[in-house]
Amino acid sequence: MIDLLAAVKAPVIDYKELSPLFALAGGSVIVLMVGLVRSFFVRSVVVPALTAVALLTAIGLTIWIWEPGNQPPILEGALGVDALSLGISMLFYVAGLVTIVLSLRSTASREAGHGEYYSMLLGSIAGMVVLAEAESLMTLFIGFELLSIPLYVLCASNLHRRTSLEAGLKYLVVGSVGSATLLYGLALIYGATGALRLDGIAAALASDAVNTADPLLLTGIALAATGLAFKASVAPFHQWTPDVYQGAPTPITTFMAVATKAAAFAVLIRLFDFALGLSQLDWGPALAVLAATTIVIGNVGAIAQRSLKRMLAWSSVAQAGYLLAGVVVGTQLGVKATAFYLAVYLVMNVAAFAVVIARERVTEFGDDLRSFENLGQAAPLLAWPMTIAMLSLAGFPATGGFIGKFYLIDASVAGDYTWLGIAIVIGSVLSLAYYLRVIAVMWMGRYEVELPSVPPRRVRPVAGWSPEADARAQPEVLAVALLAAAATIFFGIWPDPLFDVARDVASSLPSLH
Amino acid sequence: MSATTFGWLVLAFPLAGTVINSLGWRVLPGRLPGWIASSAIFLAFLSSIGALIKLQDHPAEERHLVDSLWTYASTADFHVDLAILIDPLSVFMCLVVSGVSFLIHVYSVAYMTSDRGYSRYFAYLNYFVFSMLLLVLAANFVILIIGWAFVGAASYLLISFWYRRTTAVEAGIKAFVINVIGDVGLVIGAFLILDKTGSLDFLQVFSQVDQTFTRNDGTLVAACLLLLVGAFAKSAQLPLHTWLPDAMEGPTPVSALIHAATMVTAGVYLIARMFPLFEQAPAAADVGAIIGCATLLFAGTVALVVTDLKRVIAYSTISQIGYMVMGVSAAAYSAGLFHLMTHAFFKALLFMGAGSVIGAMAGIQDMDRMGGFRRAMPFTFVTFTIGALALAGFPFTSGWFSKDEIIGSLLNRGGLYAVLGVLGYVGAFMTAVYAFRMVFRVFQGEQAPEARELEGGHMAHGDPVNPMTGEPEDTDVGFPGPEHHIAERDWPMKAAMGPLALLAIVGGYIAIPGVDNVLEKFLEPTFADSRFADTHPSTGAEWIGLVIGGVISITGIGLAWWVYIREPGTAARLRERFPRAHNFLSHKWYFDELYDAVFVRPATTIGAFCRRVVEADFVQGTIVGGATGIVRVGTSFARSIQTGYLRAYALLLLLGVAGLTLYFLLNSS
Amino acid sequence: MTIHLSIVLFLPLATGFSGALMPRGTGRWAVLAGTLAVLAYVVVILVDFEPGGGLQYVTNDDWIPELGIHYALGVNGLSLFMIALTAIGWVACTFVAAFSELERPRLFFFHLALAETAVLGAFMAQDLALFIVFFDLMLVPFYFLIGGWGSGDRVRATTKFVIYTLSGSLLMMAAAIALGVLATPDGGNISFLLSDLRERSVPLGSQEWIVLLFALAFFVKAPLFPLHGWVPDTYRATSIPVLALLSGVLSKVGVYAFLQIVLPIMPDGSQHWQELFIVLAVFSILYGSVLAFSQDNIRLVLAYSSIAQLGFIVLGIFALEEKGAQGALFQMLNHGLVTVALFLIVGVIAARAAGSESLAELGGMAFRAPVLAALFLITALATLAMPGSGNFIGEILILFGTFENKLVYGLVAAVGVVLAAVYMIRVYQGTMHGPVGPAVESRDIDRMHLSALAPLVALVIALGLYPNFVVHRTEQATTGAIAGARVAGAAQKAGAQETAAATGASAPRIVVAEESR
Repeated sequence: MIDLLAAVKAPVIDYKELSPLFALAGGSVIVLMVGLVRSFFVRSVVVPALTAVALLTAIGLTIWIWEPGNQPPILEGALGVDALSLGISMLFYVAGLVTIVLSLRSTASREAGHGEYYSMLLGSIAGMVVLAEAESLMTLFIGFELLSIPLYVLCASNLHRRTSLEAGLKYLVVGSVGSATLLYGLALIYGATGALRLDGIAAALASDAVNTADPLLLTGIALAATGLAFKASVAPFHQWTPDVYQGAPTPITTFMAVATKAAAFAVLIRLFDFALGLSQLDWGPALAVLAATTIVIGNVGAIAQRSLKRMLAWSSVAQAGYLLAGVVVGTQLGVKATAFYLAVYLVMNVAAFAVVIARERVTEFGDDLRSFENLGQAAPLLAWPMTIAMLSLAGFPATGGFIGKFYLIDASVAGDYTWLGIAIVIGSVLSLAYYLRVIAVMWMGRYEVELPSVPPRRVRPVAGWSPEADARAQPEVLAVALLAAAATIFFGIWPDPLFDVARDVASSLPSLH
Repeated sequence: MSATTFGWLVLAFPLAGTVINSLGWRVLPGRLPGWIASSAIFLAFLSSIGALIKLQDHPAEERHLVDSLWTYASTADFHVDLAILIDPLSVFMCLVVSGVSFLIHVYSVAYMTSDRGYSRYFAYLNYFVFSMLLLVLAANFVILIIGWAFVGAASYLLISFWYRRTTAVEAGIKAFVINVIGDVGLVIGAFLILDKTGSLDFLQVFSQVDQTFTRNDGTLVAACLLLLVGAFAKSAQLPLHTWLPDAMEGPTPVSALIHAATMVTAGVYLIARMFPLFEQAPAAADVGAIIGCATLLFAGTVALVVTDLKRVIAYSTISQIGYMVMGVSAAAYSAGLFHLMTHAFFKALLFMGAGSVIGAMAGIQDMDRMGGFRRAMPFTFVTFTIGALALAGFPFTSGWFSKDEIIGSLLNRGGLYAVLGVLGYVGAFMTAVYAFRMVFRVFQGEQAPEARELEGGHMAHGDPVNPMTGEPEDTDVGFPGPEHHIAERDWPMKAAMGPLALLAIVGGYIAIPGVDNVLEKFLEPTFADSRFADTHPSTGAEWIGLVIGGVISITGIGLAWWVYIREPGTAARLRERFPRAHNFLSHKWYFDELYDAVFVRPATTIGAFCRRVVEADFVQGTIVGGATGIVRVGTSFARSIQTGYLRAYALLLLLGVAGLTLYFLLNSS
Repeated sequence: MTIHLSIVLFLPLATGFSGALMPRGTGRWAVLAGTLAVLAYVVVILVDFEPGGGLQYVTNDDWIPELGIHYALGVNGLSLFMIALTAIGWVACTFVAAFSELERPRLFFFHLALAETAVLGAFMAQDLALFIVFFDLMLVPFYFLIGGWGSGDRVRATTKFVIYTLSGSLLMMAAAIALGVLATPDGGNISFLLSDLRERSVPLGSQEWIVLLFALAFFVKAPLFPLHGWVPDTYRATSIPVLALLSGVLSKVGVYAFLQIVLPIMPDGSQHWQELFIVLAVFSILYGSVLAFSQDNIRLVLAYSSIAQLGFIVLGIFALEEKGAQGALFQMLNHGLVTVALFLIVGVIAARAAGSESLAELGGMAFRAPVLAALFLITALATLAMPGSGNFIGEILILFGTFENKLVYGLVAAVGVVLAAVYMIRVYQGTMHGPVGPAVESRDIDRMHLSALAPLVALVIALGLYPNFVVHRTEQATTGAIAGARVAGAAQKAGAQETAAATGASAPRIVVAEESR
């Protein structure tokens, strides 16, 4: 018995490196407990506050353990805590904070119960971190599920809205199919290479032991790619995105739009550029084609939308296409470009969604274009962030979006994927059609919309609407929008700080040229 | 002061007049603008005399003075100075232009009195004189072209001076466009010359012509023909003449100044100025001579039938310029320029007389309505008749000497030119006929009511209508003022016509064969290098020519007398006898109709086609519509697969997986 | 390393911001003052500029080292008068706008100021990426200016305008990045600095498609047939002061970039497409002219006329001969000035005809508005390149340059000169002459417009009197710009001794080009 125990060799646990995860996990438990307290004050104020504290701690710890360059994986190669994972995690934390702020007045959190709502948020973030750090197929899948399951619930957290429930259900079903495919793919890869650890896979591919043209391996790659592509909402695995984004409570939509995508791309980079880097010639063209299709479909789909959430969903599909280009080329430059664009993508989308939330809470048109008519006159402070976000998404200069696209095209051209760069350009041209429409509606709209200080009676209980909510009476949303917009402009004019981070991130994959 | 300084003054005064009149249009009272303008031109005339005197101080071979104000434009091998060239030719032109212009200004002072655009008129007129003098003084092609276009613009402005008249507006754009065609010809010609000789300055080019080009060198001929295009457009030679008759829409003094005396003779000046080129490219010179001859015959025939008084004179102008072009093209430079001068005198005189008559007819220009003005307007009658005599080349009038000098030198050169010379006599005969057709129909015969009224002492007052279309006109503009002016009642008009009448007679005595030849001696330095400098018909031959010319003109006048005085109605009978011929002539050989069918209509059709088809269907339809169409299709597709049903999503997902896997497997093998 | 250009560049933006924060009435004056200050500054530069001194007032800092993008500004013979044109145009149009009734004025003038900064930036930029930044940035304010303050179907028009232009310029961005990447020597750092790119070489094969994409962007902007689909709607919808700038100044940015960027960096590629571009240019000349005289709306006449005029400019550039390039550059300035003046005049006319701009309803204005007629006449004559105007010198240089290398095309293009006379005189007569139009109740030009127009017209006359002022200052730069392509062209000419002669002829010019860098 004793020697049996002795036989178990527990792996060395590097608590320092794991500390952000502990913060999140602990935080989610505490939040859940505190959420049980009766008092309204505790639920609606303390709980979010605690969640924020958890995230801030995580941020602090991440900065503490930040270390550029290639880091050896910990926990027997289960997790890789390097600049790549840490840098991307930062995006999750920021997204999480934003979501908290945006959720403060939302019905979703109340209906789902504050404790549960926020703790699931933290759980999902923890899952993302694991996913981003995953250094072995096992942890990869664990992180993947840990990320997804809370999100399924959060999507449906708007219990009294059919669309919200529908969104949750759809997400659950399609998501499970995705996970299944991923799992199967990972299994095949394992079978082909005989290694669970990514570095092991890379080594196996490097050795003559494994033939890179091995059908087993390639099928595995294909299935794994599908699973991840699904999470990153890459066409043709994007279809859940519009429905879910539209149905889910808008704060959650925001969270999914920015954080989930970041997580998916973190793991795409790790799996493809690092583990399967050597067979890039095999999967590169395939992913490139996927990227191109995604760009086209996403933009084309967005043109027809009146609902802003839906439109942004489609646009996020298109953006996924742009980002994928950075992965396809499988170079340091590509990783840098992707990381940079993920950050920019976060700020501009947050700005847009924040404005959507602010509007849909007070107009009877919800997130329909009509609720933005003449916003320029009615509420410039809301109109400007939206305008900047749209311009940035369309890739106009002096915004982060421009630099980001410039960087991505630069990467694809340098990686001999010039045609992919052209595809990005064509995509941006298509995207003008719908981004500019939003601006036009806000600034050049025909009829007046007065901003009701008291919302009209027959407002349908759309996502997150609450009686006391009102453009002027929700300063936190306004603040988020303005901050995000400011950041968008800032990165458009002074991108260097982000470039430094991106450089660190890329430095953690020295195998890339 | 040096000759060149005077040259600049010649330009400065009219320009100053333009500026003063155009800025002072609000404040200058009464006839003051007219007098300012006239004095400006008079000063220009004096300066020309000054230039003349100074120039004569120089020894003959040094009478080419160039002076530059500043570098106009200089890049690569394209170097142009804002420079003038003072030589006998330019000074001679300055004298003629400024002199005649001065008299016509004086005439206008009275004639335009009651026009609402009084100072505008004189601003334009001064601007024209400035441009014309710039043209003749230019020392290089670019400045020449600038003057060339400026006179065109001035003529445009003055043709459509009464700009509410649709006819005047149409005439204006017609004249402008044809002039621009001429300008383009000049520009291209100038390029060919620059390309080969590497310079645009006249003197340099001329000095290099013989080294640079072989005789009848292709490029040179092309260049000369292009210059001829410019000359013909400006001088209303075939086939670019159609604008001049319509240009009669302008006020009559304008017709006298621009469309008879000065601008239309610019072509003649150009050919004379470019003589070294043309002598090196005889082929081009021949073209010029032939076209000149054809033009003079064509215009003569038309002048025989047209009934609009001003248009008759206009066609006669075209015909007379034909003589000059023929002359200078045949290297009879001094002869051509001599005719240019005398023609300026008597043609201006004729127009002034016509203006006076039209004034008496309250704006009516149709000769069918006129008649018997002899007693009512004695002064006009006398001066007009003198003009007509000179035009007809009646013995011992200026026209007699000048016209026959041209024909004489043509006969003297023999060959092709002899033929042209003979044809010249035919033209001379027609000239005599139509000249006196005018005189007899206007001043003789039974009295028109207006004439009777005028004898009664008060002038006719028609209500304002467009003499061409008869449509009523507003009296703001588009009608020469509420009341009309005739020489008998306004001394400035007399003061202008008197001297001209005198010159129309004695103007020819500066070049009487055998007696003296002031003009040729004076111009000699300019044309010294000409190959034909000393090929002259003998004095005897010239006198024979003069006699023949005299006989022809007298018989012509006699015929006119027989047709219109002796046997009135002969014209009518002829008209009935040869209706087709008459139609053909009275439609001016159908040139306008032809151009309308060949250029105007096709252009407008093409325009309409481009607008309706190319623009709408191709640019908007195919390019824009196509792109948006594709996107729309894509959108509808994306929406159609976005059913919202899970099963559909799952299906696509699986398809995707299958596709991806398939791809990899295919690659693997 | 001087700060002057940076001051000029950001002065308008600064005034725009401050104006937006000022109380409602006063913002416009701030912006107007800003444009005047810029003009003053530019005049100083104009006077101080040393002809043949190459690039001057150079500013060069790293902006985004990661991407090799520099904040590099400078003025040479090419940009000097384009900057002057921008300053002048903006003063005139801001002046007119400042005195007219606008809703949301602060926003309007903010955009106007932003636009000036963007255009100035595009003309000053000495870094390809920086140029693209400004080139695209200028779309944003114009998008708002057209869509927010236009008339009629303005939103559709402005969207069309932006999509058209941006699809061009985004493709150009891709091409530019490719250029930067391909030009980077192994181990070297990527750099978009024009001077670096001129030294580095790109294989001919890639040069060809890169030049093509650049040309696409510039031809859309110019515009040239068949890429002018955005023109009619946009010209109809845009308000006059904005339209004057759009047509007068913005249209020059693209063609300017040919001389400043494309020809020096990719001489062989440019030479490769010479024939095609010349054909396009000539076709645009004829097409624009024909459409110009078949239009009834004055704006559209001018719209199509500027298609023809830009055709001439492109023709001059791709004649690849000094006179041609020289004329093209000079013509950019002339056309800019007269176009700004013409559109302001159109505004004045429309104000006297109950807003009507259709020739059918206009006419006979000259009698009650002699001054207006005079100003219009001078500008119209200048526009049709009447000898004695600066436009004439520009056009004659263009034609001479074309004749030298491509005689036939030159002759065809010369037809355009005649057509220009037809449509400009037609417009002048249709508005000022003829019977009084039904919509017209004419009165003379008001003080405000007069004080905006008189200087412009005076400038046009001055350019006609002393064109060499411009030609002299720009000669070295233009010769340098096309030197490379000339050599490429000469090298391609058949016949050994001919080649030798041509290269020999242009050898010293290459030296000039070196100096001018």
